[in-house]
Amino acid sequence: MPREQPWGSLSARTGPGARSKHRAKGHRVVLDVSKQAVEAARAAGADFADARAVADRSESLTVRNQEMEGIDREGSEGLGVRVLVKGRWGFAATGRLAEAEVVRTARLAVEIAKAAARLPGQPVKLSPVEPVVASWHGPMKEDPFNVPLEEKVALLVEASRRMQRVKGLAFAESSLDFYRRSTSFASSEGAEIEQTVVHSGGGIEATAVGDGELQRRSFPNSFRGHIKAAGYEHIRTLGLVEEAERTATEAVELLSVRECPSEEATLVLDSGQMELQIHESVGHPVELDRVLGMEEAYAGSSFLTPADRGKLRYASDLVSITADATLQGGLGSFAFDDEGVPAQRTPVIVDGIFQSFISSRETAPVIGEASNGTMRADGWGALPLIRMTNISIEPREGTLADIIGDTKDGIYMATNQSWSIDDKRVNFQFGCEIAWRIKDGKLTEMYRNPNYTGITTEFWQSCDAVAGREDWVLWGTPNCGKGQPPQTARVGHGAAPARFRNVRVGVR
Amino acid sequence: MPGLIGQDAFERVAKAAIDLPGADGVEVVLIHEWGGLTRFASSEIHQSTWREDTGLRVRVVSAGRIGVAASNDFSEAGARAAAESALEMAGVVSADPYFGGLAPRAPVHATDGFDERTATATPDLRSEGVATLVAQCPPGFTAAGAFETTAVEVAVATTEGQVCWAPVTQASLTTVVTGGEGGAGFAESFARRVEEIDPEAIGRRAEGKARDSQNPRPLEPGIYEVVLEPNAVSTLVGFLAYMGFGGRSIAEGRSCFSGKEGEKVASSNITIYDDALAADTIGVPFDFEGTPRRRVDLVRNGVFLDGVYDLRTATQAGKQTTGHALPAPNPEGPFPLNLYMQTGDASMEELIGSVQRGLLITRFHYSNVVHPVESTITGMTRDGTFLIEDGEVKHPVTNFRFTQSILEALSAVSMVASESELASEFFFSASRVPGLRIDRFQFTGRSDH
Repeated sequence: MPREQPWGSLSARTGPGARSKHRAKGHRVVLDVSKQAVEAARAAGADFADARAVADRSESLTVRNQEMEGIDREGSEGLGVRVLVKGRWGFAATGRLAEAEVVRTARLAVEIAKAAARLPGQPVKLSPVEPVVASWHGPMKEDPFNVPLEEKVALLVEASRRMQRVKGLAFAESSLDFYRRSTSFASSEGAEIEQTVVHSGGGIEATAVGDGELQRRSFPNSFRGHIKAAGYEHIRTLGLVEEAERTATEAVELLSVRECPSEEATLVLDSGQMELQIHESVGHPVELDRVLGMEEAYAGSSFLTPADRGKLRYASDLVSITADATLQGGLGSFAFDDEGVPAQRTPVIVDGIFQSFISSRETAPVIGEASNGTMRADGWGALPLIRMTNISIEPREGTLADIIGDTKDGIYMATNQSWSIDDKRVNFQFGCEIAWRIKDGKLTEMYRNPNYTGITTEFWQSCDAVAGREDWVLWGTPNCGKGQPPQTARVGHGAAPARFRNVRVGVR
Repeated sequence: MPGLIGQDAFERVAKAAIDLPGADGVEVVLIHEWGGLTRFASSEIHQSTWREDTGLRVRVVSAGRIGVAASNDFSEAGARAAAESALEMAGVVSADPYFGGLAPRAPVHATDGFDERTATATPDLRSEGVATLVAQCPPGFTAAGAFETTAVEVAVATTEGQVCWAPVTQASLTTVVTGGEGGAGFAESFARRVEEIDPEAIGRRAEGKARDSQNPRPLEPGIYEVVLEPNAVSTLVGFLAYMGFGGRSIAEGRSCFSGKEGEKVASSNITIYDDALAADTIGVPFDFEGTPRRRVDLVRNGVFLDGVYDLRTATQAGKQTTGHALPAPNPEGPFPLNLYMQTGDASMEELIGSVQRGLLITRFHYSNVVHPVESTITGMTRDGTFLIEDGEVKHPVTNFRFTQSILEALSAVSMVASESELASEFFFSASRVPGLRIDRFQFTGRSDH
């Protein structure tokens, strides 16, 4: 597994008492806001409290056919307070950081926790964590918010212009997205943690329309491209302009090729589609809150049970999958989660056998474990939930070209277009942007509207090839939804191309 | 609990942006929202939250060029800073060829969408409701779900003189009851006023369906007659809105309705419209550009009439805005947020009674687009799927995957129920729809539960 160190800049020591030097512009020291909230919650009767003061900033640019479609900046600051009263959670959040509002919000969190006792139930017990005083900045060489807008717009217009050179293309879109999140976390156990992460991403999308068909090709990946925990230096490596013409050409070609045939096939997936396959059929099922029924009514639960640990054959021997928040550049990388638990690397599937869930301080003790540090919230206004960190398949050997060359007859699909999976993460169906027939180790006929369907463990058990590090890519999924009220998380997936046998393709 | 900001206070803050020097036009949108959500699982309250935020979104026009900035700093300084940032962005882009101007001064319908009791609902009130619902579960069954009460205050001001403001409240209670030998049952309720939510009735409905769902049997996928309950219909209507009703996608040939104005696209008993002003939906009487909303008929007696528009897409398509703008910037274009499907004259029992051999579907799960121009989506059934034979519900069946063109399904509707419900969809807002009997619906796979 590619894993570089250091994955960020960390200074830390355990135990309370250290003082932060970070101050939010125009506000009181934000760590002091969190600490004040914790103190107010304790004074109001909380047995445990933690608080996060969060400052979010984002910038998004979209160009279509060389015209600016949307350019906007957003900023949001606020505070979320989480408390336990007699083993029941309460959470309250406010966008106003004045002292009186902070105290009012902390007291409201306590009131909410007390109201939760209206129903009987097992009191929450938290797995222990050493309270840490630390500050951490994620990796970033070139601050994207300091790069002139003119440069960003010029890049997008040029990529769009290159796509429009291709005759028959209807829409040539290019986009950039930048996010900065600064979090100041304090807990009644003495933790004081400040973290800043910057995520940068960009992509292009070519759309051809005609004869009742709409065909799309994206680069480097669909849904706004390739996003990483990095600065603008990541954008400079993407090749958006260089790949524009090829991307547009494929979109136009797709209008005139055949539909992907309906058959049972040997299926080879590129790393972009593997990202979504891992996300939906491994990442979500191994969330321990789902397994315990905590997401039952909305996004659903999981086919896994705690008894499956160390026993269930989830996949073939070739498949090992790891949850790793310490990977450099992942959207799920951090030094501490939103409960103050240190980032960890956890084997989820080892040589095909299911090993571990991803967990929290509340859920891990239920199955006799300690939290492996995966709680994150969608900003200051949301309660932390178990979220994927970087859930990645371990690379094996060879390249995508080797896998295709080793395939006598099959279908190669690339770039995710749609996804659907049932409420226990068993039956799935994915659509891709493009496919080719593999004949005697070579790509031959191109197909449009390819899709495939399967049953999670049957599918993963049919995997008989996983490419090596050369074609392994750490992708970002910027739109992972979960929870009520709905939250969106940015999560990471390292993915390598892989091959699966006897898969039903071309569902219509 | 927080109170309303009110139109006067909004106008004072908005003025700091409206008066920005160097701008040809400015639009300020306020979204002030607060509320609580009490979430339960395994018949225990496990997550209970409350949140308040005040967001300002400022769109600035300079020589036809557009920039947008948003902040939750609701103050004159915050509004001015956002406006200045938007103006800076407008300075580096080219002019928008379809810019349709900012909303002019126009009267907005007064609506009665705000309920003080809902806006001030306490955690105790929600917990009590959850306890009532959970109490309906028989031994061996538990409930999961969420009881939410929210208030939203929306306001828009433009340099063209439009100023509009409206508060609205919403209460919802949804649940899935599970237990026994693996069955599950779903029920929900949405309303403007929390007092209209009946936790006991919702709990009874869900637990009844969970008991009826015990020991589901596998059934071969294929084409079946179906009776869809309102929540399942809301998935079809929501995706039709997403893939089809937006004026921009219609104008650009990306919609399943492109080039089909005046054509028959569904059975004659299908009428779909959007109406934010109706008393039995949860709507704001103007859109996020400040254009007053009105009823817009989209499909009447099976014939597609037209889509929905905002100022930009109306200019692009040579039409008038229908008042369906979303907050700027919005590259996807306008969207209908208050959809209705017109009711028919049959009871749900009559729908089921008319089926020779088919399926009763409670709801769909995690659906997604397969082919947008053909309006084809795929998704799963969940929380109550049953075989109907000779007009009677025979037994529960394990969940199916469907892959189906929505317009083909709506062209095979033989009966429409007389009662409608405000029903949610996983990805979209709620729509008010009745149950349907559809003669042909394609299931392409199945799950193990």
